[in-house]
Amino acid sequence: MTNILAQEAVIGKAVSIADRSQAFEAAVREHQSMVFSVAYHFLHDHASAEELAQEVFLELYKHWDEIESREHRLHWLRKVASRRCIDQTRRRKYRNHLSLEDAPEPFTLMPATDPLLNRYIEQLLGKLAETPRMVMILRYQEGLEPSEIADLLEMPVATVKSHLQRSLAVLRRKLSFATREDES
Amino acid sequence: MIDFEDQLRRALARQEPSAGFADRVVARATKRRPSPWANWRTWAAAGIAACLCLGALDLEMEHQRKIRAQGEAARAQLIQAMQITSTKLHKIQKKVRGSS
Repeated sequence: MTNILAQEAVIGKAVSIADRSQAFEAAVREHQSMVFSVAYHFLHDHASAEELAQEVFLELYKHWDEIESREHRLHWLRKVASRRCIDQTRRRKYRNHLSLEDAPEPFTLMPATDPLLNRYIEQLLGKLAETPRMVMILRYQEGLEPSEIADLLEMPVATVKSHLQRSLAVLRRKLSFATREDES
Repeated sequence: MIDFEDQLRRALARQEPSAGFADRVVARATKRRPSPWANWRTWAAAGIAACLCLGALDLEMEHQRKIRAQGEAARAQLIQAMQITSTKLHKIQKKVRGSS
């Protein structure tokens, strides 16, 4: 709580380097799981996700004086993390060329609560194109509304909804094989 | 049966980065970068050194000029002394010839 108050005290104000570092550290601790998880669910690689998350926070440190509030900071971090994930994947051809439509069905039937099923879902998400993948992560990891996702990714709300519907339909179809025993 | 969207939320639950992540980020962010002042100071020091060198060179040239002027003055005095001596010797020679 003290850390959060310390952060609030220094947001948007000229402060000493020590105060700024302390506030920045508290901000990193507060948001590290969000930024790291966005990167990890997008990249599916722990080391790359940590590196990207570090870069996002270093960017925040550079723009510290421009951040007006905690809400602004959260929005800013989500936006920068999302953009960097998409840009990095496009730049480095991270994307697996196998499309979700072509992804193989699982070899074994899995109960709905099986952690392996979670991994399978993550794998399927990894087959989505960059933008729909990020839309799904922001929707189901961060719990954002389509309008908020549209704002973050700078696209029409209708496009976000369309990405969500299409991705859900394909995932449902792929997962129906894995969970059909439970459903029946 | 678990709702499909709930299953997605579980699969995409937030995770923590490895231990010490925040410390590493803060260390990288606050690591001292070469300050533009350091550059400015280097240039200022080089400028001062150049000024000192030019000053010393100017002093040395002034010293050489003084020595040369003193030499010129001594030469002129010597020539003048020799002229006076020559004139006096000439007068004495005349007197010696007149008396003989």
